[in-house]
Amino acid sequence: MSDKSITILYIDDEEHNLHSFKASFRKQYDITITASVIEAEQILETKDFCIILADQRMPIMTGVQFFEKIRTRYPKPIRILITGHTDISAAIDAINKGEVFRFIDKPWDYKYVENAITHAYDIYKTREDLKQRNMELQKANEELDKFVYSASHDLRAPLMSVLGIVNLALIEEDVKSQNEYLELIRQSVKKLDTFIINIIDYYKNARGVPVITDISFEELVTEVQATIQYLPEYGNLKMTTDIDQKGIFKSDVMKLRIIFNNLINNAIKFQDKSKPDPFVHLTIKSTPTEAKIIVEDNGNGIKESDQDKIFRMFYRAGATNSGSGIGLYIVHEAIAKLGGRISVKSQIGQGSIFEINIPSIYK
Amino acid sequence: MVMKSLLNFFLIDDSAFDLFIYEKLLIKSGITDSVKTFNSARDALKYLLEQAQDFPDTIILLDLQMPDMNGFEFIDEFDSLPESLKSKIKIFMLSSTIDTRDIDKARESAYILDLLPKPLEIVYLKKKLEMIG
Repeated sequence: MSDKSITILYIDDEEHNLHSFKASFRKQYDITITASVIEAEQILETKDFCIILADQRMPIMTGVQFFEKIRTRYPKPIRILITGHTDISAAIDAINKGEVFRFIDKPWDYKYVENAITHAYDIYKTREDLKQRNMELQKANEELDKFVYSASHDLRAPLMSVLGIVNLALIEEDVKSQNEYLELIRQSVKKLDTFIINIIDYYKNARGVPVITDISFEELVTEVQATIQYLPEYGNLKMTTDIDQKGIFKSDVMKLRIIFNNLINNAIKFQDKSKPDPFVHLTIKSTPTEAKIIVEDNGNGIKESDQDKIFRMFYRAGATNSGSGIGLYIVHEAIAKLGGRISVKSQIGQGSIFEINIPSIYK
Repeated sequence: MVMKSLLNFFLIDDSAFDLFIYEKLLIKSGITDSVKTFNSARDALKYLLEQAQDFPDTIILLDLQMPDMNGFEFIDEFDSLPESLKSKIKIFMLSSTIDTRDIDKARESAYILDLLPKPLEIVYLKKKLEMIG
């Protein structure tokens, strides 16, 4: 086995042992040698090792004492002790106390040492992998926790609003007000429905198997436009498109739909009604290698301090008219899954420009 | 008929719906004829900071989950207001939360008299107001 990613530190006061070890294994492993335990400690500060080999009989301190000393500060490397026959009881003691993983008998033989290193590295790797997995799991759990917290709020809040309106309607005799209440109920139910659709989108994006097909941006945009133009909040917003597709572009149509849907919906939702000509302009330039998508509007704009936060899960930038803060998070996740990037330029009161670059996917 | 001065109410909630509903509900119930609404906790705080000495006794119904500054963050800032102003104000949290950490936190807060569940029930609110006198 040859793996230069296996880093080994070998400490032995007898220089010729160090050199013969290095000569035997330098092609296989990344080896650092030193004759001094003091220097060894300095080396440990600057470099990470998978395995540390130490001779038992050394001046200043024994191999076991050295391991005892460094163990708490450097718990990651697997420790192997090299001993002569006379030190075997010390070595056994060290193994039983957990100071060393294994000991190697002197004079050592090539196969035996290689085998010890392979096993030690297996353990090192398994531990590191486990640590990595644990960290990922912890992160996933924290996200899930946050998700459940925010999702339960976003599911419950509109329902409680509806219930509040119903309570109010029950003590209201005026029929005109009743109709007003029904309209509020409608809006609240709509909000809840939008959130549920978002959650499903998020789930599909996170867990679903991507389906890569030829993309026609023209078709996709027409389809998205068709679903939104009758929304009551559409107002007199003017949507224009400029699509320039050259050749075949391959991607996951579902993720692209999620991206377009959310960005265009946001442009509708956050349009500046005080302006005489609210617009959203969509530019797509696609080549067989990549697509550049720009969504530009003259809406409310996004505060500079919020611009790096809007892609976070459940981050809501404004108080008025804001949703649950999941839309742009889903957009960001979808683009990340497609291997692309998104950036935003915006000025409050002026409008926002979202720029997306995604590569064509060839499997 | 004994004339009893009506209570002053502030509503702090990012949801325009809920501000609308609860303002109407409070006025219809006859519990108050003065409701001031804020759709951001920061705005409410700014308003409080500008108030002079003769601030009337006020009940604040404070939502929890709001963007920018949430209910608990509002409470943290509220703490630094002058004592003369704080003594005039009684705060209830009004939220749809069912999260036990939120409920515990509201209970532990020195300024939150109680956590009222949404939707607001006037009968319940009246009972709570009687209890605090």
